[in-house]
Amino acid sequence: MDNNMPQAEPIKVKLQPNIDKIRKDLGNSDDIVIREIAFGVARAAIIYTDGLADKKMITDFILETPDQTTERDNLLEALKELAQKLGDYKEITNFQEIYSSILSGGTVLLLDGCSRGVSASTQGWKDRSISEPISQVVVRGPQEGFTETLRTNTSMIRRKIKNPNLWVETRQIGKVTKTDVAIMYINGIVNGKVVKEVRKRLDKINIDGILESGYIEELIQDETYSPFPTVNNSERPDSVAAALLEGRVAILVDGTPFVLIVPTLFISFFQTAEDYYQRADISTLLRMIRFISLFIAMVGPALYIGITTFHQELLPTQLLISLAAQREGVPFPAFIEALLMEITFEILREAGIRMPRPIGQAVSIVGTLVIGQAAVEAGIVSASMVIVVAITAISSFVITGYSMAISVRMLRFVIMGLAAAFGVFGIVVALIALVMHLCSLRSFGVPYMSPFAPFIPDDHKDTIFRLPHWAMTSRPRLISQRNIIREQMSRPAKPQK
Amino acid sequence: MIRKLSALISVLLLLVLLTGCWSRRELNELGIAVGIGVDKADKGYRVTVQIVSPGEIVSGKSSGNRTPVTVYEATAETIFEAIRKITTKSSREVYLAHLRVLIIGEQLAREGMEKALDHFSRDHEVRTDYFVIVAKDTTASNVLKVLTPIEKIPANNLYLSLNSSEKLWAPTATITLDELISDFVSEGKSPVLSAVSVIGGKAGHSQKNIENISPTGYLKYSGLAVLQGGKLVGYLNEKESKGYSYITDRVQNTVGLASCPNGGKLALEVISSKTKVKGKVVNDQPQIQIEVKTEENVGEVECELDLTKRETIAELEQLANQKVASIIKTTVKKVQNDYKSDIFGFGEAIHRADPAAWRQLKENWHEVFPKVDVIVNVHTEIRRIGTVANSFQNERKE
Repeated sequence: MDNNMPQAEPIKVKLQPNIDKIRKDLGNSDDIVIREIAFGVARAAIIYTDGLADKKMITDFILETPDQTTERDNLLEALKELAQKLGDYKEITNFQEIYSSILSGGTVLLLDGCSRGVSASTQGWKDRSISEPISQVVVRGPQEGFTETLRTNTSMIRRKIKNPNLWVETRQIGKVTKTDVAIMYINGIVNGKVVKEVRKRLDKINIDGILESGYIEELIQDETYSPFPTVNNSERPDSVAAALLEGRVAILVDGTPFVLIVPTLFISFFQTAEDYYQRADISTLLRMIRFISLFIAMVGPALYIGITTFHQELLPTQLLISLAAQREGVPFPAFIEALLMEITFEILREAGIRMPRPIGQAVSIVGTLVIGQAAVEAGIVSASMVIVVAITAISSFVITGYSMAISVRMLRFVIMGLAAAFGVFGIVVALIALVMHLCSLRSFGVPYMSPFAPFIPDDHKDTIFRLPHWAMTSRPRLISQRNIIREQMSRPAKPQK
Repeated sequence: MIRKLSALISVLLLLVLLTGCWSRRELNELGIAVGIGVDKADKGYRVTVQIVSPGEIVSGKSSGNRTPVTVYEATAETIFEAIRKITTKSSREVYLAHLRVLIIGEQLAREGMEKALDHFSRDHEVRTDYFVIVAKDTTASNVLKVLTPIEKIPANNLYLSLNSSEKLWAPTATITLDELISDFVSEGKSPVLSAVSVIGGKAGHSQKNIENISPTGYLKYSGLAVLQGGKLVGYLNEKESKGYSYITDRVQNTVGLASCPNGGKLALEVISSKTKVKGKVVNDQPQIQIEVKTEENVGEVECELDLTKRETIAELEQLANQKVASIIKTTVKKVQNDYKSDIFGFGEAIHRADPAAWRQLKENWHEVFPKVDVIVNVHTEIRRIGTVANSFQNERKE
């Protein structure tokens, strides 16, 4: 570790050895710019990283060097004064500080004959502009998504919550990458214990690099050996702001638009931002559709296998006969048939996602033909199986949380196997085991299945149902334990009679 | 830890892989039986099974030159044996869960069918929602061999036709196996079964038959079969069957004929009917009171009647009362005199009303039943007269 990173060696008085050392330590990297200028009576060096620092600011600075009359002793003061014009500055005394400043876009000014330097923040690199979040699209609602720049992201949340109690704590994680990670919460609403726990878990991270918030998620989640995600993520500032208002903690990582939200409940993966922007009754209906989709996505093919190979008596006679007619001549058992189709579909999906967009379309056309038409006509699979697989696939897209949708995809295969071996009994056993597992999970101390288990009647205003905003008077009880009153019960204004 | 975990996982895998797929049956391994018939054979039973050929049923897939169902027969000493014996002819296992009708051949019915029903009530695979029907003047095997138009599966045709005729026409009864068995064991009630007859002899056995616009061979429900002590004793004709339906409160909707006060015909639609059978013992003599309340609509008028007048409606109500009462009385008389079988459940009514008296009566209920005094009271209300008031035939005359 120490071989890679320069030590906290103090800055020398003479300028030239300092420059030499910097050159040597940074391996003569081309993008490190060291410009030597005359600064009043003395010589000075301006050091910055090309591409990270704003060149225009630096040029403005150079033009304003003091005249020759300034006393040599006052030059450092003059330097600080100038730096102040640029923005915030810091006095630095060792090489460690020089490096961390220039590598994060700052500019360091060293003066000949002075063992102290000044670092000015001149960050100005190229970043992606704010654009629509691609993973969480809404019809109605803000169309802005987070970007890769931490500062932009915090500002977007600040713009939504203009409150002095919105606090940000920043730290650097990753021994090599030194990635900025910010914790955001609303003091007074958040549960202090959760914040403390988040800090503790983040401080425990001992890894060389953080390239995406997924690293953090995996390192701080409660349970690694679980198919279910206990940390939610969002690309949408409005979703994160809503989570903060409920007393959750947001973890922002520099370099990714995905912000982590803890504590996360099972139900969070079925709530979308849009639920709160459109009318409550419609949102409730859509929520129910999502739960039905969850059920279909998880046990759809399994139920088909279980019922058609073990419990044919459950089917209405007409349906049984028409299913049996479709299976005439199909060479595989229902389970193999389902597995074949499911795997084909997963291959197509993976291919469609990773392919460049124009080729992706070609993949989907081939896929539709293969799955939909040819397989049935060739008599390899039955038409009803194609219907089951298709409705299952579409259902799995309805689950709003992508991380939850992936786990459901995985569990589907396990349940299919059990259905093939034990029929509906196997499905029931699998579901019971799943419920037991879900109830045992916690996310930062909050039971994962709350408010279902433990059952909290008050919190059901925003689970399967989404009550109108005037009725959402309290925050989720177990998340924000201190300050749960959100508003007084207030009926909406009505026209006077 | 890892060793323990892997041991646990392998045990679970063994559980799935070794016991797995026990009793698994793919859909195309099943011979879905929709109708089963039981006939008397020299030794034991002759069982006929109507099995669906799924490929021929589904639209767009059928080849058209094979029958939608296939009938297999086997003879054995017990029914269970006979069903299993069918596998020597059929490629698929007989799957009874979707049975729609169980048909009892006339000969077996006359000699007693109780013993033949044990397997059907015992086997776990068979559901109890199928109808039990008697093949009138023929064998069950002949009934199951008739192909039907519109409904490709003949057993389904029998099932649906019985259902709809009970709902709209009344002189049939949908009796499922458990209803039949509970009537068998009841002391104060004897069972009836719907009877089906084959018209056109063997003409219905070939697919040629259903290529005709009006098939020469077909199946037809013809009244009810009266059972006594598990044996068939006779049949009720259509009118008597309707009387039976009135008494046992099975009428949901039917059409009744009445004659106009001054000649001509009139059809009344019964839209709802409620019957209460009350038992009473007067001077050691059991007495039955039948109260029928019906609501009717005027459905067809073929005579001169001024339906706009209130008195006419009252008159019609009287007519309807008499009509229904006479149907009921004829039925009771016929059953009391000819069959001496308490199919109406009069015994149960007396049992409910006077348990003490019933204890003495039930010993020789068989002899008492024909002498039971039956009082019939019908109360009819006419609700609607249709979309016209007086028949247009009358207007022309004026």
